[in-house]
Amino acid sequence: MSSTHMNVADFRSGLRTWLDRNDLSPGPDHSLDGQVAQLARVRRALFDAGWMRYGWPPDVQGLGGPAVLRAVLGEEVAERGLAEPGIYSMVEVLVPTLISYAPPALARTMVPRLLSGREQWCQGFSEPGSGSDLASLTTRAVPREGGTSHSSGAESGGDWVITGQKVWTSLAQYAARCVLLTRTGPGHGGITAFFVDMDTPGITVRPLRTMHGVDEFAEVFLDDVVVPADRMLGRPGDGWQLAMDLLPHERSTCFWHRIAHLFTRLDRLLDETGDPDDDALGAAYLALHTARARSHATQRRLAEGAVLGPETSVDKVLLATAEQRLFDTARDLLPGVLELTDSPWREEYLYSRAATIYGGTAEIQRNIIARRLLGLGKD
Amino acid sequence: MDQAERELLAETLRKTMTAASGRALDSALADLGWAELLAELPDVAVPLTFRLLGETGAHAPLLNDVLLRAAGRPPGGTTALPYTGGAWVRWERDDRESTALDGDLPLRILPTGDPLTDPALAAGRRALGWWLLGTGRAMLALARTHVLDRTQFGRPLSSFQAVRHRLAETLVDLEGAEATLLAAEDGLGSLLAKAAAGRAALTAARHCQQVLGGIGFTAEHGLHRHVRRTLVLDGLLGSARELTREVGALLRESGTAPRLIQL
Repeated sequence: MSSTHMNVADFRSGLRTWLDRNDLSPGPDHSLDGQVAQLARVRRALFDAGWMRYGWPPDVQGLGGPAVLRAVLGEEVAERGLAEPGIYSMVEVLVPTLISYAPPALARTMVPRLLSGREQWCQGFSEPGSGSDLASLTTRAVPREGGTSHSSGAESGGDWVITGQKVWTSLAQYAARCVLLTRTGPGHGGITAFFVDMDTPGITVRPLRTMHGVDEFAEVFLDDVVVPADRMLGRPGDGWQLAMDLLPHERSTCFWHRIAHLFTRLDRLLDETGDPDDDALGAAYLALHTARARSHATQRRLAEGAVLGPETSVDKVLLATAEQRLFDTARDLLPGVLELTDSPWREEYLYSRAATIYGGTAEIQRNIIARRLLGLGKD
Repeated sequence: MDQAERELLAETLRKTMTAASGRALDSALADLGWAELLAELPDVAVPLTFRLLGETGAHAPLLNDVLLRAAGRPPGGTTALPYTGGAWVRWERDDRESTALDGDLPLRILPTGDPLTDPALAAGRRALGWWLLGTGRAMLALARTHVLDRTQFGRPLSSFQAVRHRLAETLVDLEGAEATLLAAEDGLGSLLAKAAAGRAALTAARHCQQVLGGIGFTAEHGLHRHVRRTLVLDGLLGSARELTREVGALLRESGTAPRLIQL
């Protein structure tokens, strides 16, 4: 099939046929190691068969076609439970960043390694002192001593030396590379991004123990880590824009994947509950349907060439609210299950508590909505 | 109908609704060609007209026409409308006294009525959904103006985060409801859209009333008209609460959550 003729319906039906014939169901190992291995297996199989390459440009070994094909692929992966949707969707923010900001040769070499499951990457943004206020980050990058001059370190092709600490870095302990935000000057314009090899001397990763029991996040310590100038993403000071440019990707394709996953959990609840609380089931479904309707409209706008902006904060609040409502409903309608038994509901319920925190808290989203969408001025 | 024509139509409708309401608006819209517009371009006519009824605060008995059309009957009459709690009402085409909470609406309680067909119910719910959405947007606009203008503690109310977040939450619900309305095609989609719009308008009523404070509780401020309208329209053809329960029962029977919207 040629990408120029690849439409959503053909893609979906071809993909479904292929997935029916090629069983990628996960094995019995539900540990994080098992999940990451399964993710790599799924990516590799989908890449080798071509499905994983649609919706990405030929420059990075993609087969072209609209981004919506990636949403369709992720939906099928979620609906069939082939990979954990959170870690599956990470490519949706990492690859566009490389395409937009990496030197083309670097993107061409690296992106296929991620898409094909040969490598995992991570994203070093948050810091112990910089959560909601990301722009206050303090991990420092300085031109290495011995370069021609401080101000022209990047231009001269010299190395940079990075020192600081990151936190909440998903999959850092599995990652071969990291998209890392650093400070090279004051303010928003003083943030610079690098693409760092995780085996560089001076990097220490320590997984975080979290409430839901999955050590998916890590602390990353950077101690005089030397990074060549050709690993800078964009130019010095482009880091904040890079971080902002991620949001439309996260809030279109990734959200669609997550919503698809949540529908499978509502199905599971319907299957398992004996409680005929139609008000609660209806409300959980209505919230999910609303998030799906909004996400659909957002992706349609993206496909029509719109530049997504602060209005995606609405999508974020709708999704986070729907996710928490769904798992609250599961807890109510499966009384005692997650409290007393080692059920999969327990981990997912606990993880859903973070839905209004990660990716920008619900309060930050409401601040954005008030200022940018309602025009209420500064608070 | 292209974008420019659509905007012209919206402008004409808005002007007409600002000048007249009730029976006078019904006549004015008839003169403008409402019947033809509904017959030929229902997908443009219904969302636009009903949303503008909400935004302007005007009313007209147009829901009858939407239901009659769906039943293959000519517009201009009335039909019995199911109301929440198993009641029935008729939306009269004249300006009579009404016992409704929104006394402007000429609703008459009926002892009983004939059940609506599924297509009529779906079309009516979409129309009411757009109306509720417009009413919600009208309330949000009033609250927004108030919080920008009113100063307390030496600052505009709009600078207080508690106030800002209530209005942000209102916008989220309204935008979500609009997305469900735009996606509503079949009976279930229309039911969900009416439920989402009813819920969003009720959220708007609660938050906007709160941030409007004392002035919003007076009869001289326009808010109460929209609040009354929200409460009454929510009950027509099924309230948000009833519809939500209905869809819950449907899910439990079928054992699966329908994915109505596809990429």
